[in-house]
Amino acid sequence: MLLESVAADGFRNLDGKFSCGNGLNIICGNNGHGKTNWLEAIHLLSTTKSFRTARLSEAIRFDATTAIVRGEVRQSGQIVRTIQVILEGNTKTLTVNGKKETVQNYMGQLYAFVFNSDELEIVRGSPDSRRRFLDDGIVSIFPPFVQTLSDFNKVIRQKNKLLQNARKDETPANKVEALLAPWNEQLVSLASRIHKARVRFVERLNEVLERKLFDREELSIRYVSSLEGKGDLDDYESLIAERLSLRTQAEIYSGYSLIGPHRDDLEINFDGREMRKFGSSGQQRSALLSLLLAGVSVFHEQQDEYPLFLIDDIDAELDYRRIGKLLEYLDGKTQTFVTTSKESFVEKFGVDARVIRVAEGLPTGES
Amino acid sequence: MLEYSEPVARLIDEFKRLPGIGQKSAQRLAFHVLRLPEERVEDFVEALRQVKEKIVFCSSCNNLTDVDPCQYCSSPSRDRSMICVVEEPYNLVAIEKTRSYKGLYHILHGSLSPIRGIGPDELMLSNLFPRLSTDEEDGEEVKEIIIATNPTTEGEATANYIARLVKPLGIRVTRIAMGMPVGSDLEFVDEVTMDKALSNRHEI
Ligand SMILES: [Zn+2]
Repeated sequence: MLLESVAADGFRNLDGKFSCGNGLNIICGNNGHGKTNWLEAIHLLSTTKSFRTARLSEAIRFDATTAIVRGEVRQSGQIVRTIQVILEGNTKTLTVNGKKETVQNYMGQLYAFVFNSDELEIVRGSPDSRRRFLDDGIVSIFPPFVQTLSDFNKVIRQKNKLLQNARKDETPANKVEALLAPWNEQLVSLASRIHKARVRFVERLNEVLERKLFDREELSIRYVSSLEGKGDLDDYESLIAERLSLRTQAEIYSGYSLIGPHRDDLEINFDGREMRKFGSSGQQRSALLSLLLAGVSVFHEQQDEYPLFLIDDIDAELDYRRIGKLLEYLDGKTQTFVTTSKESFVEKFGVDARVIRVAEGLPTGES
Repeated sequence: MLEYSEPVARLIDEFKRLPGIGQKSAQRLAFHVLRLPEERVEDFVEALRQVKEKIVFCSSCNNLTDVDPCQYCSSPSRDRSMICVVEEPYNLVAIEKTRSYKGLYHILHGSLSPIRGIGPDELMLSNLFPRLSTDEEDGEEVKEIIIATNPTTEGEATANYIARLVKPLGIRVTRIAMGMPVGSDLEFVDEVTMDKALSNRHEI
């Protein structure tokens, strides 16, 4: 997949269009002029999500009613499709060649992995960012997984509400169990699908993970189920069903769903030590890059195509040694988009790159 | 301070109470009404009044009807050994369009959703059970309950809850096949898909 050009209108301060190079694209401009907005627009086109906000309506320019981001995507030799994300109020419309599509059908036209300071939460933040990293990776190679995740989250929210009501109203235990049963039954099957998909995805990441690409220490990852040590994880469906029935009282007491993959984690270690606690900020950046590159490889294995790779504020986040290694690794693989405010970066890495200069949201020149 | 004079503001408020209508649509509808000729408004008001006066819930299946029992419950040609359970009256309409189902219905008028405050008692479910006992006056035994709630998490929970209550009575409980998009509303499923879903129903 190749993004040949990208255009935006009403999306933050952006206006206009630029064409993209096959390899490295450097979006260069002073801070506050919209280079990150262009990267966000490309991310939106690729994943239908922003890497900055969950509320896309925030991205519509204050004096506009709609925001449009459009891309020309080359699928293979002869096929070029126009894909479009249209934001209006709180609604998001996706089109392929002008025809409205569902998220599941839209996905698969383009995909992007992104490195920025927020994504560092994956290696240093709470487990939910690591679960999200895994879930996004699974969706990238299997879009219908979106539905499983969304159904699971709905079931958990409904169940939590039920548990809280039961606690507040002091509902008799047998009645609570009858009310919980229909939700737990769905939870068992959805949780099993999520568990299986994540375990398999981590296996795949492990097969391709470059353990020492950036640093001397050896990187390792492992999926940690919250049901570890509670029984046979190979028969997850029976195990979770059993745990759910054993722990009903505790769930009512706490008012929350205590059992399920929403409490799992991805363990990230370097030389056997926990990255989150003991890694330096440089090691954490290396680890995140290695994880993202593993995601890129798995994507390539499954789709037979490379996704886009986006890096925001590249020289603020990474030193030249890591940037050099990274760009060398990505060369000939992904179409890469980076943003920078430094001319010195362009001089050092821009020789074979497409350079897009941005001022006040407008692409002012390409070279 | 009111943006509009009181009668207009009140009309906008009434429209906003309707499902799926926000501030903008409510304003548009209100101004549309203001531009209508007097007699069109009279017709509209009359239609609203009539629907409340004449339409009742069928005492047997909870369908909306102007005669009780409804046309399905009172028809001698319907198969009384089957009851298809749906969430809303428009789901019944979707199934009728297939012309392949000849049994009776039971309309719940909703689905289980703790978040929206809907438990079993908020559904029109309890009057299903008297219909299942063999000493019902029409004497015909119900042999199968087909659950055709929406393929959403709420619809699934509802199906599961009902199945747990009905199965111990020795009645076959089936769920329509989810060949249709998950997370969707049966309102938008076409006849062919619905026909397939009905014929591929499975035991739960
Ligand atoms: Zn009836």
